[in-house]
Amino acid sequence: MHEMSVALEVCRIAEERVGTDALPTVRAVGLEVGEQAGVEIGSLTFCLETLLAAPPFTGATPVIERRPGDVLRVSYLEVEDGHPDD
Amino acid sequence: MAIRTIDVRERVMARNDQLATGVREQLGRAGVPAFNLVSSPGAGKTALLERTLADLGRAVRIAVVTGDVQTQNDADRLAQHTDRLVQAVVTNGACHLDALQVATALGAIDLEATDLVFIENVGNLVCPASWDLGETGKIVLLSVTEGEDKPLKYPTAFRRAATLVLTKLDLMPHVSFSLERAVQCALEINPDLQVLFTSTILPEGLEEWYGFLRAQLHRRRAA
Repeated sequence: MHEMSVALEVCRIAEERVGTDALPTVRAVGLEVGEQAGVEIGSLTFCLETLLAAPPFTGATPVIERRPGDVLRVSYLEVEDGHPDD
Repeated sequence: MAIRTIDVRERVMARNDQLATGVREQLGRAGVPAFNLVSSPGAGKTALLERTLADLGRAVRIAVVTGDVQTQNDADRLAQHTDRLVQAVVTNGACHLDALQVATALGAIDLEATDLVFIENVGNLVCPASWDLGETGKIVLLSVTEGEDKPLKYPTAFRRAATLVLTKLDLMPHVSFSLERAVQCALEINPDLQVLFTSTILPEGLEEWYGFLRAQLHRRRAA
């Protein structure tokens, strides 16, 4: 159940980093989740996929890496830089 | 479109922990110990606090913050045993209290006129363990009607607590619970855990608990 709180906080951190206007350009959200972080991965993935599929996000992918210990952090964000690169 | 990677490395709990630090500093300035009571539903958190308020409430100025998913029934129960304000937090579905809720609840409590704060968390042995509320210590409760191996099944709550309160010892003649095995399981997870044996029914059933609380108050006054 608290995975939704965690997922909402992940979205807040993303917004803080890239700004509200850039949230639609987020393509991936990288997370590190410790084996003892008290988080159920299936549930967290479901919550994140649901939130990241809804505006202002446009379907970013959560990328979860398991770690030993109780780490729980957002490691990186992948965004489209807004400039065509061709 | 080019994809750019932004290095973030921010702990998900950073904001909660920042608020918890604020709560801890506020309690520290006022010299008030605060204990976060965590257990599965029905382990006896409210019953323990009811007796504590009734027995110590005249000598010790106790403030209580209670969290429940719905209803303020626990706060109403506790309010019958104290003239002081009992702060009810209804989480509306959330499975735990967070530091913001506790900081807000403490805003309505006069800490200068308070000796001791109890935070009765939502009955849940999983999620509350992950949220730092700024408390002095977590106290985990385990009743003799539960399984002795709960510490092994829900290790985080027992690992992060400093104190284990075994409750409902008056029911021992009617259950097959082994106190020895329960303590063994708890110490396997957290060897530093202080274990207290309690009953709100038996005569002298709360002496160890009250001794623990007096020691906390004495320690704080001496600091």
